[in-house]
Amino acid sequence: MPTFSLKNDRLLEVTLMNEKVSALAGAMVAYEGQMKFEKLVLGGEGLFGALRRAVSNEGMPLMSTSGSGKVYFAHDAQTISILPLQNEKLFIESRNLLAFDQTLRTSTAFQGLRGGSGSGFFTTTVEGNGNVAVFSDGNLIRLEVSPQWGPLFVDPDAFIAYKGNIQQEFHFDVNWRTMIGQTSGESYQLKFTGNGVVFIQPSELKS
Amino acid sequence: MPQYELVNSKLLKIVLRSEEVYAQKGSMIAYTGQVNFARSYLTGGGIQNIAMRAVTNEGWQMMTAQGSGEVFYAQSGQMVTIVPLKGETMYVESDSVLAFDRRLQTGTMFLGSQGGIRGLVQGAATGQGLFTTTFTGNGELVILSDGPTIALDVNPNNPVFVDPQAYIGHRGNLQPNLHTDVSWKSFLGQTSGESFQLKFTGQGVVYIQASER
Amino acid sequence: MSNTAATLYNPSNLPSNDNINDYSYCVDVRGQMFVRNGKMIAYYGQLRFEALGSVGLAGLINRAFNSASYVSDFIVINGQGKLIVGDNGNNIASYNLENGNLTVKADNLLAFEDTLRCQESVVEGYLTIIGSGLFLASSCGPVMFAVPPICVDEQALLGWADTPCPSYRYDYSYVQSTLSHIGAMVGIGASGEEKQLEFKKIGNDDMVLIQSSESNLRGRDMLEKILAMLPGLDHDDAQAVYSNLYNRIHGQQ
Repeated sequence: MPTFSLKNDRLLEVTLMNEKVSALAGAMVAYEGQMKFEKLVLGGEGLFGALRRAVSNEGMPLMSTSGSGKVYFAHDAQTISILPLQNEKLFIESRNLLAFDQTLRTSTAFQGLRGGSGSGFFTTTVEGNGNVAVFSDGNLIRLEVSPQWGPLFVDPDAFIAYKGNIQQEFHFDVNWRTMIGQTSGESYQLKFTGNGVVFIQPSELKS
Repeated sequence: MPQYELVNSKLLKIVLRSEEVYAQKGSMIAYTGQVNFARSYLTGGGIQNIAMRAVTNEGWQMMTAQGSGEVFYAQSGQMVTIVPLKGETMYVESDSVLAFDRRLQTGTMFLGSQGGIRGLVQGAATGQGLFTTTFTGNGELVILSDGPTIALDVNPNNPVFVDPQAYIGHRGNLQPNLHTDVSWKSFLGQTSGESFQLKFTGQGVVYIQASER
Repeated sequence: MSNTAATLYNPSNLPSNDNINDYSYCVDVRGQMFVRNGKMIAYYGQLRFEALGSVGLAGLINRAFNSASYVSDFIVINGQGKLIVGDNGNNIASYNLENGNLTVKADNLLAFEDTLRCQESVVEGYLTIIGSGLFLASSCGPVMFAVPPICVDEQALLGWADTPCPSYRYDYSYVQSTLSHIGAMVGIGASGEEKQLEFKKIGNDDMVLIQSSESNLRGRDMLEKILAMLPGLDHDDAQAVYSNLYNRIHGQQ
């Protein structure tokens, strides 16, 4: 299995021994050894997957890196975190995906309708055994969701990923809807209930 | 000699005692004591250098701070690294230089034969700009990066390939060369990234930043 | 504090009125506080968000937020809970005032308790916070605390405590060169640093707050504001903006 480690909090080091890793196209900053880079489209799940990508706009430019040696990935000096998956499914905003083990399966999940416009809201899922590296604007924060803490509310732009047995809903604060002429901020929030972990970034800038 | 110190990862302090430093124009954020500021160009001089500046656009504007006191420098929230040079030459893109003093000699290096850096990549595409800036001597060179500066060791058994956008500078006995991955060529016209890479061979250190801007 | 990704937070172990990391802060909300609009990134508990135009807040605003220019940038949060704030990845620092006053750049003020009183400084673009309580300010890079006398670049200045209002200080050679006609014409001497804010030392508690960058906070730039407003334009207005920009770029008056 490719080894993921952090050279520093903004640079991911992946060690390959005749293995493959998928990464955001253009995110390679340096490598040592013999490496080959090829274009890849997220998914790899046939025609249905391609169709879903076309609908969901979750089709992100990826590259496949294969070979033996060390390859370094970074993106806009953003903070990087490694999330190990053990037979789990991670729901993640594809815009925050930096790299993942190619043995993991990816797909697109429909998350419901967003707001009054009724546009669909999709996220990417990554499933299996292996490492996922995500980038965030500032250090990633892990928040626990459990019935004993009540629901967790998150700004949609700060949301990065979740895993576990979690229900996600859109939450509209009544006070917000009555605010007229305000340059809204949180016109809706994401509400999480169930059991699991939500990952957020300390920023509401879309990366 | 001027004393260099990091207040935090993004803020440099230089203590002057009737001394002078050069810094990127507009980067001074505060000072105490009696210090005067004036515009300057990359010094080190000679006609050759002036001609090169005209050609290369490497004559970027510096300012001098002269006097006694503490001067604080920062630039666009970038991270600051102090690189102590011990008689060697450091090659660095001029917009990544924050500060240095007269203990270092500056020059403009034509890298056409050696393989230039960002300029070389640009040159490969547009046919211009195969120059970079050099610093030689004993003293501190302060450089800027998006995120922390990362030093990659290069030795004859271990060449390193670097994305030109992530490159900041290098020192030691290194040969930079343009490297084009064949499989990347097929990317051209796509929203690829790494159509060119810089390959460094020899013995030395390559500095990169965790950003491909 | 460094490796937050390794810590799994819940309401029982989230910091209590403290930073989670350099870029985020957890507030124990018990009652009311002012928070800059859009800076809530997550919360547990029962919290209500109210715009300052809402009925029933007039008394609070009159007492705690005496600024016509900036009041609409904030909302009031009410209730009980753990509120996490973040500001575009800018550094966040907290300040506890005890019967004191601190002046801070208005754009950098992030949140404050309703026990404090906030009013406009005579220096444009700054708010003075008076009384006792907690407030948060964001900055581009960590904050450096400096003791006057000191000269500070206007863009890098975050605020000041107790010291009297700053005044502008011009570099002598710059003043000289503008006095000479030729100097003024060719701009000789412009080092980019010819004008600073000078703080004099008066008392022992004087303090100047400096952020580690001369650039604005991320996410508060003019360009971002303009781009954020563009989706609200109808077709004709968008056309007007387009032709205005086109003329500007291509040099027609």
